[in-house]
Amino acid sequence: MMRGLWRKTLLETWVQLLLFGLALFLVPALLTMLLPQLEKGLGQVLGAFPFMRDLIQALLGEDLGATINAQNLQAIIWVHPSVLALLWAQEIVFCTRVPPGEIDRGTIDILLSWPVSRRKIFCAETIIWLTTGVGLCLLMWAGHLTARQFVSSSAPTSPWRVLIVLANLYCLYVAVGGIALAISAASNQRGRAMATVFGLVLASFLLNFLVQFWQAIAGLAPLGVLHYYRPAAILATGAVPVADMVILASVGAVAWVAALEVFARRSICTV
Amino acid sequence: MEVLSAQQLTRNYGDRRGIEAVNLRVNVGEIFGFLGPNGAGKTTTIRILLGLMQPSHGTAKILELDCWSQSAVIKRQIGYLPGDVRLYSWFTGKNALKIVSEIRGQDEVRQRGHALLERFQLDENLQVRKMSRGMRQKLGIVLALAHNPRLLILDEPTSGLDPLMCDELYRCLREAAAAGTTVFFSSHTLSEVELLCERVAIVRDGKIVADETMDALRRRAQRAVTLRFLPNSGTETLEPPDFLEVADRTDLIWRGEMIGPTSKLVAWAARQPLEDIEISPPSLESLFRRYYQSCEESA
Repeated sequence: MMRGLWRKTLLETWVQLLLFGLALFLVPALLTMLLPQLEKGLGQVLGAFPFMRDLIQALLGEDLGATINAQNLQAIIWVHPSVLALLWAQEIVFCTRVPPGEIDRGTIDILLSWPVSRRKIFCAETIIWLTTGVGLCLLMWAGHLTARQFVSSSAPTSPWRVLIVLANLYCLYVAVGGIALAISAASNQRGRAMATVFGLVLASFLLNFLVQFWQAIAGLAPLGVLHYYRPAAILATGAVPVADMVILASVGAVAWVAALEVFARRSICTV
Repeated sequence: MEVLSAQQLTRNYGDRRGIEAVNLRVNVGEIFGFLGPNGAGKTTTIRILLGLMQPSHGTAKILELDCWSQSAVIKRQIGYLPGDVRLYSWFTGKNALKIVSEIRGQDEVRQRGHALLERFQLDENLQVRKMSRGMRQKLGIVLALAHNPRLLILDEPTSGLDPLMCDELYRCLREAAAAGTTVFFSSHTLSEVELLCERVAIVRDGKIVADETMDALRRRAQRAVTLRFLPNSGTETLEPPDFLEVADRTDLIWRGEMIGPTSKLVAWAARQPLEDIEISPPSLESLFRRYYQSCEESA
């Protein structure tokens, strides 16, 4: 039963997964290759443009004080807007397929005419969403490792620390996907669901960015999911951010359960 | 034995009316017509039967199981063709049957499905995105029939089909009914319901306005009557009987409609100075229109 649902989902999404996977391999690879250039001129850049320090700190979401160095810069690979945008775009597109995508296309009638409970349909989608998340994170890592073969950084990071960052990133993926699923479950229009989730992650990104410049809103920082994703601190210390990961996974889990219940209980109305 | 039953089924869309106090009973092996104009509430009823929507009031049961809470179990026994069928654009006959057979856990779905694809002359490798509307409809029909369901729910299944394929579908449905499958056939076209169904429910403005066998409907249907009188027979003072409604009357020719057995008309006509009499077969179409008109008037 599940095999049929997985086959259907994969046949439907393989092109999207392939393209996003390729992009998420290439972008970290490209950033890994470009970072040594930035490292070389870091001192000059920070001397000539002091505001660059604030920008880098804001991007990393960390107050690094005077300690911006080559190792901190490695974290840029994992927080760069293009990387996060690609990862989020992939999961927003994926997680808004059922039910609003199916309702938009008019295929929900066929999907729900099969002898499978809505909970099973949702679980089948969830398994692919979670599995592809692991695959995408590993592709990002593979891109980073591949590029590292061709460039040498003045502050090479240990693969173990990068893996911790990726685990934290995966928890972020779970949180954002869970929220996307929850919003989708209650929605009839995919465009509206996608715009809402995109608005939320953009707000979280901007909040995380602005908090570094504007202390008055520092109290709001924990409301954004990016507050719990700190690659710079992980790369610097090697500590596993258990609390952050638990919070992100919990947000994802609660949102997922809410999505499941809403989808299982709601009337699907297309007229 | 009842395969499908609905009692006081009601569903509103906010301020808009969906269906109201719909009662239905469909017996095993029956081809049941569910007739009504567009927007009458046919699709809403079907969506409740399929567990896509929860009724605001009332209950719906298929094979003694509740349509909302036991929807997934019920669907093992149901074949469904939506009105305006939309299939996944990447579907082909082949991969659709593979997926459906995996989901249903029945390998024989593929063999039966392939036979149906041939019967409906559909290329199994053609993608839905390249199909015409009629071809998509045929694939939808194949997917609804492939698992040999106990109940077939078809929402306007002939839309987009050419006459030959309509005939093939009718044959297919008659064979299925003969083998014990119950068919719930929704349509806004009386002629195909008349051709196929043994019993029909007429829905209008979300309410069932008639639920009868086709024979009973035919008995109540009107017949067009033309009476041609002999010249100088003095028809000016003649009054038509109660069962004859004369719409067009000249000196020698009356045209109208009659309700009830023709024997009454024949007995009355035998006493009249008639040259000729024409009585048409019973017209369900006019009965159908009358149902709609009377509902519109009462509304």
